[in-house]
Amino acid sequence: MPRRQGLISRFGAALLLATAVGGCGGEAASPTTVRVLVRDINIREEGVDCAGTGAYTFFHNRAPFRVLDGAGETLTDGRLPPGKAVRTFEEDLEVERIPTYCEFAVPVSVPARSGYQLVVDDQPAIPLTADSGALVAVVPS
Amino acid sequence: MRLLALLLVAVLGLAACGGADPEAPAGGAATLPGPVPADLALRPVPPGTPSAPVFTGTLTDGTALAAADLWAERPVVLLFFASWCTTCADRQDALSDLARDYRDRVVFVGVVTGDEPAELEAYLRAHEAEFPVVVDADGTISRSYAVREPGAVAVVAKGGALLRGWPGGLDASTLDNRIRELLLDEVSR
Repeated sequence: MPRRQGLISRFGAALLLATAVGGCGGEAASPTTVRVLVRDINIREEGVDCAGTGAYTFFHNRAPFRVLDGAGETLTDGRLPPGKAVRTFEEDLEVERIPTYCEFAVPVSVPARSGYQLVVDDQPAIPLTADSGALVAVVPS
Repeated sequence: MRLLALLLVAVLGLAACGGADPEAPAGGAATLPGPVPADLALRPVPPGTPSAPVFTGTLTDGTALAAADLWAERPVVLLFFASWCTTCADRQDALSDLARDYRDRVVFVGVVTGDEPAELEAYLRAHEAEFPVVVDADGTISRSYAVREPGAVAVVAKGGALLRGWPGGLDASTLDNRIRELLLDEVSR
């Protein structure tokens, strides 16, 4: 009888462990931010919501995106928020509308990988680089 | 029998309201303007004003639209927007009111690029936009007006002169003032 109780205990512990691991959905994911600077040099007011222009019109609010690892496996997906217009240089031109880039920042949770890529609206993948706790890209690079 | 009569009266009453057809696609043929008011008085166009790029397009319901047919009779305000454009959404309610105020005198025409039909329809209904909307699927019309991202506005005089454009757009109050300055004679104000 004690042997049977021991078997049941070990089986129960194994079941709990398996449930715990399975319940986590696999690998642990860490929160980070994907930052993409679209260097489209468009005339805007600094800080306004923006979308990419020229060859980057697919970068806009609600555009679908995926974060892939280096091998092309999708790690997470979602929709972009609006971009924010950031000045291209520090000189004060004394006008409201100035040359700007459009920067997107998206909070994501991804498992640790040696490489990451970003796909927006099924366009070609853009390599992301780990930098100061974020995954960043500049286009055109 | 009495219930039937009441229903009939209600249906006839609703039909007589003359409001926008809830079944018709927003931005379609039902939003095209009526006859130009006889008392519309316009400012003369400054000499040397360039012509607006002529375009044809398709409204949200598939109706063909030739912009030159509209500005042959009255001024046209082109609103370049998208349902995902947050700045556009912030301004749209007031712009929709302005378009209603000027209806038949100055026609507002939406030009939409890079949008999903269902999201565009929801946007137009949410913001009570009751003006024709051209679907500029490949961005040709926007590019011809040098519009790089949505939120832009252009004003075209009767006859087709391109009076002014605002790449970053503008709010309804400012646009109203500009319409009065650029287009309307004192009589029409």
